[in-house]
Amino acid sequence: MRKFVLSMLVVLLLVSSACAEVTSLTLALRAGTYSEVIKRCLPAFEAEHGVKAEVLELAEDDLHSKLALDAANSEGAYDLCMVDGSWMAEFSSNGVLADLGALGVELDDDIIPAATKISYYGGKLYLVPYYGNVTVLLYNKALVNGKPLNSLDDLLSVCRAAKESGKKGFIYRGDTENNLVVDFMPVLLSFGAWVLDGNNKPSVNTPEFREAVKFYLELIATGDAEAKDDLIATIDSGAGTMGVGWPGWYLPSESSNADYCAITGRVSNDGTAHNANVYGVWTIGIPANSTHKALAAELLKYLINPAVQKSTVEFGGVPCRYSSLTDPEVLAKFPQYKVVCAALEGGVYRPVIEEWTEFYTILGTELGNIFNGVKTVDKGLEDAQTALEQLMN
Amino acid sequence: MMKADKRFAVFMVLPALAVMLIMTVYPMASTIYYSFTDFRLLRRNISFTGLKNYASLLSNEYFLASVWNTVKFSLLAVTFEVVLGFLTALYVNSLKSLRLQKVLRTVILLPYLLPTVTAALSWRMMLSPNYGIVNQFLAPMGLPVHNWFRDIHTAFAMLVVIDVWQNMPFVFLMVYAALQSIPQEQYKAARIDGAGTIAQVWYITLPNLRTALMLCTLLRTIDTFRIFDKVNLLTGGGPAGSTTTITQYIYNSGIKSLKFGMGSACAIIMTGLVLVLSALYVRDIMNQRSI
Repeated sequence: MRKFVLSMLVVLLLVSSACAEVTSLTLALRAGTYSEVIKRCLPAFEAEHGVKAEVLELAEDDLHSKLALDAANSEGAYDLCMVDGSWMAEFSSNGVLADLGALGVELDDDIIPAATKISYYGGKLYLVPYYGNVTVLLYNKALVNGKPLNSLDDLLSVCRAAKESGKKGFIYRGDTENNLVVDFMPVLLSFGAWVLDGNNKPSVNTPEFREAVKFYLELIATGDAEAKDDLIATIDSGAGTMGVGWPGWYLPSESSNADYCAITGRVSNDGTAHNANVYGVWTIGIPANSTHKALAAELLKYLINPAVQKSTVEFGGVPCRYSSLTDPEVLAKFPQYKVVCAALEGGVYRPVIEEWTEFYTILGTELGNIFNGVKTVDKGLEDAQTALEQLMN
Repeated sequence: MMKADKRFAVFMVLPALAVMLIMTVYPMASTIYYSFTDFRLLRRNISFTGLKNYASLLSNEYFLASVWNTVKFSLLAVTFEVVLGFLTALYVNSLKSLRLQKVLRTVILLPYLLPTVTAALSWRMMLSPNYGIVNQFLAPMGLPVHNWFRDIHTAFAMLVVIDVWQNMPFVFLMVYAALQSIPQEQYKAARIDGAGTIAQVWYITLPNLRTALMLCTLLRTIDTFRIFDKVNLLTGGGPAGSTTTITQYIYNSGIKSLKFGMGSACAIIMTGLVLVLSALYVRDIMNQRSI
């Protein structure tokens, strides 16, 4: 009996030590399609490298604060993380991310160049564009009914017609400051305006900005403010006509009620076309305090492998790679990727400034006041400009 | 012997004291300290800024609006919760059938048993302008489908309704338990003296329930002052800041932007307000006990 117990103990010890040898990587990812496509790729990597990958799926704000909180520790809890392009300045200037070049990660020519604009800081590579989220115009096919959507004027006329027929016209996200700002940005860009000037000073109280806001007020008067899920449901069900969306939200097919197209960046049909598609690209980086940097770099290289990225298209993945977005097989099944590719080529990143979170909170608050009639356009933009100048000084 | 008793008492209190020091005193002291600094999470340097954070907050129209929203929310929610909880308890307690009392007690308590996040998400679905059951009822009656959480005129009221729905059962439970302990002789004597139902409630029930009602008001005031999850999940403080409470303001301006110095100052002001409000109730409860 004693021998049996002893041998069992030895077996248990061996098993537990064998288990302890399995390295575990922790991935902090943005919840939704973004993390789903990565999760589908993981089993093959785990089997090949004998590792276990644990995925933490987080909402955008949670992901941001968790990464920042963890950065204060000498040994980090995360080995690989998704990073929104707008956090780049804040993260890289405070040493949150590891230099990917030193870990053997490189960007190849197949990745859409415009999407890599925020990947480097001080000549070092910190982030790899992974999920090609870029604003598109999500619309209900039946309500648009083949009418042209070549300019903002076209959008307004379609939305007004929808409203006259008892439907909602333009739907925008009115739930958070960030969403208020981002949904407005394509219109702002179409008017040739931006939130910062060439010297990185706030420029929200300019004539172009005011014109953009006034136009947007006309546009949103045809519809409603809704949360993301309601926006998609409203457009898909035909209760609403259109709104600014992201490829990760909706997978259109021939039989689907909705589809999306690129925003042309023209105010009128004979006007100048601006780059008006705003990036919401989810990039991948490795925290500087990761305890498994080399293995995390292997995983990153595997995830951005062209063939692996192409395989994610089937499940809603939107690679920032020409090889996926222009592949005839992919386009035959998902023709909308042609639109996404064009939008990504001319996409615009939100300002890469350390103060971006506070910046959009201030601007979103004032835009919310204007959209809800609490302040006039002039007063709202004047207050926003004053507060933003104080912030940036 | 006395000394040994004292030592034993101190020894027994030590673990609780240690937990208090680690879990309450240390975070509280840190928060007070950070509120006088420009502490930002990712920046290494922390500078002492004196009262700058407080001055900046007290001159910020949006912070002051969030304080007013919180006070307004607390007053409305607590009033409705206490009144409705009291009336419901009175009604259930007056029922002759004990079985019916048991069934109603369980049904009334259900919303209180739900986690706040579940309750908030259920309401979000029910009030959705697309698939929400509330609008599905309104539409066939010819009433317009309403966007409850995005309309500046209805968003705040909706939050109050949801909080009352979820927390009224707590007041009900406390009052119902207190009602059981009122001596029936008092009612018998009142009836012999010719007192009607309203007089009995006014002269017997309410004085007997005073401590319970004060306690409910105190606890609910503290709780409503800290409201966050419902606001954050349902409105995010919008539209146009009409539902931004202090905690939501702390989240938007302190936590999200990692400005922990500013966030700490907000938290200290909020704690001060809760303490002032609570002190009024606590003093009243203490006075009653000493009578």
